Amino acid sequence: MKRLAITLALSLMTTACAHRDTYVLLPDGSGQAPGALTIKPAEGGNALKLDQPYQTARSTMGGGLEAGRTDEQEVRKRYGAAIDASPPPLVRFTLYFLEGSDELTAASKTELVAILAEIKARPVPDIVIVGHTDRVGMVADNDRLALRRADSFRKKLLQQGIADEAIQTAGRGEREPLVNTPDETPEPRNRRVEILVR
Amino acid sequence: MFRTGMHNTIPVTVAKGVFCLFLLHTGTARAAEPGAPGAPIWGAQVKVSRGVVSIERDGQRYPGIVGARLKEKDVIQTGGNGSVGIMFNDNSTLSLGPDAEVLLQRYAYDSTTYMGAFDAYIKRGTVSVQAGNIAKQAPEAMRMVTPKAEVTGTAKNYVVSVGE
Repeated sequence: MKRLAITLALSLMTTACAHRDTYVLLPDGSGQAPGALTIKPAEGGNALKLDQPYQTARSTMGGGLEAGRTDEQEVRKRYGAAIDASPPPLVRFTLYFLEGSDELTAASKTELVAILAEIKARPVPDIVIVGHTDRVGMVADNDRLALRRADSFRKKLLQQGIADEAIQTAGRGEREPLVNTPDETPEPRNRRVEILVR
Repeated sequence: MFRTGMHNTIPVTVAKGVFCLFLLHTGTARAAEPGAPGAPIWGAQVKVSRGVVSIERDGQRYPGIVGARLKEKDVIQTGGNGSVGIMFNDNSTLSLGPDAEVLLQRYAYDSTTYMGAFDAYIKRGTVSVQAGNIAKQAPEAMRMVTPKAEVTGTAKNYVVSVGE
């Protein structure tokens, strides 16, 4: 009787929940290395690492994972509906500022038209304005300046009729220079805002 | 999702169904443990929505239409003809195919430092993932969890499919 119960339980586990889970590493899309994925079984056991495009991990009945491969065609066939629902890629603009100021350079002022066109082309645009500085001055001061630059561009977009709740601002200060420099180096290319239209 | 052979009697099939529901239930209970309180207001926005898509928040159900905002603890579901594409504040995206269910267990993001925490529980269905700033800053900070495994890493694009 006991054996029957165990057999029944095992049969339930293997047939009732015979579905398997699959994990597929895809190419980066921008031509760079795909990075790596680590898949750790919930019930312990060996983790599996994927670091080549189209490598797969599939769950096994025993709660473990087995490695495998797939290809672009198979991925399209099985997962196309999910992949096709990906949001349209964000578009990134970069505008430059005069030193120590939140005023745009003359060349960057003219970019506004292209930015507005991109915003208006999207059904529900949300806009992220990220301010950056060069490495002249203190980190905390540069955080404030970066945010001021972002805010000043936000005002420009508001004047153009873009809804307030559609815009987020952030100040990255000197953390993400476009051009690496030693500290206290004036660098016009780092005094910028990035506008992400999503 | 069940492989029900022709030889199965009805009681056995029902028992299997109940057993599976039980597994799903315990999986959800574990996943629903509360994260940090004081969640940020909005973490994401629906950018693409096809067929039946719904958002469950505090026991209420809302249509997952284009433009809808999402936050921590929301559950996103798609119907048999549904799919949805979601853009997160850190530029990560998740897109769900038909018959999918995902719980946004945890979403926190600091747009100055790019530090954050992004835990999604993929209960069923296929999810295409594009990692954004949170994972770029700290790969362990973005975790896709399924009933059977946990996924982390530096990868930019991948697919997780639960219950094929």
